[in-house]
Amino acid sequence: MIAAGLLAGCAVFAATVGGWLLCRARWPQRAPVLGIAAWQALSLSTVLAVVLAGLVLAVPRSALGGGLAELVQSCVWALRAQYGPVGPLVGAAGAALAGGVSARAGWCLVAELVASVRARRRHAALLAPIARTDQRLQALVVPHQTTAAYCLPGPAGRVVLTTGALAVLDAHQLGCVLGHERAHLRWRHHLPVGLARALHRAFPGVPLLRHADQQIAELVEMLADDAATKHGDRHSYAAALVALVEGAAPARALAAGGPAALARVRRLVAPHRPLGMLRRSVTALAILALLALPVAVAATPAFVAAQLPYCPVDVTGLT
Amino acid sequence: MRQLGELETAVMDRLWSWDRPTSVREVLDDLNRERDLAYTTVMTVMDNLHRKGLLARDRDGRAYRYRPTGSREEYTAELMEAALATGGDRTAALLRFVDRMDRAEVAALRKALEAAGRRKKGSRQ
Repeated sequence: MIAAGLLAGCAVFAATVGGWLLCRARWPQRAPVLGIAAWQALSLSTVLAVVLAGLVLAVPRSALGGGLAELVQSCVWALRAQYGPVGPLVGAAGAALAGGVSARAGWCLVAELVASVRARRRHAALLAPIARTDQRLQALVVPHQTTAAYCLPGPAGRVVLTTGALAVLDAHQLGCVLGHERAHLRWRHHLPVGLARALHRAFPGVPLLRHADQQIAELVEMLADDAATKHGDRHSYAAALVALVEGAAPARALAAGGPAALARVRRLVAPHRPLGMLRRSVTALAILALLALPVAVAATPAFVAAQLPYCPVDVTGLT
Repeated sequence: MRQLGELETAVMDRLWSWDRPTSVREVLDDLNRERDLAYTTVMTVMDNLHRKGLLARDRDGRAYRYRPTGSREEYTAELMEAALATGGDRTAALLRFVDRMDRAEVAALRKALEAAGRRKKGSRQ
């Protein structure tokens, strides 16, 4: 009972305060990879904490109350005391919570994956009659005056550019924009973006997951910006970004790109100062700890029970 | 796949420029001035284009006559619109270089860039 309460508390804290804190942090912009990892770890950890809270409530009544109880009755009592005695209703509610949350997350993940793959295939099929493969650029070129640059991820990943985009970019800028898109393809940036989107869709009311979806989409762009300008002039690349926005038809409805693009331009024109090695290492460790936390909280009572002299249960087999 | 896309482009180029109902045979004859394609290949390509919604067709005796459903400009504009559309309910199917913005946001972007440009010049002097 205590473990379940702790886990639920962790989840609520992470889903509200955790997301808010990470939103306000400045360091993810200086280390986008770690930023993405932190958002993903916080999201997964929260979902995992809820699932484990449900399991902790359900387990003492089913697995431990059944077969094992006959073997070591005293141990079961110890375990029950550790996890707290729960009524059958609470146990069932726990099982329903764990099952429901896992099923919902899994379902939305698969749905997002299938929908993206379909949309990509469809778009590629519709591009085929008008786009020309440019061997030199290794990109599909669409004859149209709007300035568009994007990529279609997947096994046969493609970069797509319009002739309008080619017209406003100089050689250096074009190289950088292609580098940006290829970084997306090479590092499979669509996967973290898709995972975050799926979790947001699965539990739309959770602020953390909404922020994670939006922030991860922004951070993969910054990551690709860094890859594109590794050896290039960041100011000229920022100018390319602005030129591409100016050449596209303005958004009619709610624009998604405004604040994100402004953050990218500001970051590109400011002196580039990636996070130092020490702060990187500390952050990476913190992210790992974040992932381990729910499991640790859930497993602790079992370990405590196993320490009791009359309880020879191999808890590694139980958890 | 690339071969097929290239053939679709060649077929659509002709139908868009001719702008009249055309049979598979006419397209085949024109294509075969430069290459050696089978009738069924071109028929399949045109059937695909019909399924994708680029071509409409009317029965003419035992065969079909195909015509584009819209102009090349309309088709391309629509497809780019779909690729760049920013809505609440989109999947992560495409990764755009930059999302579209409204005029005020574009102006703010230009301002940030120019301010940085002036700072850069200032620090050089």
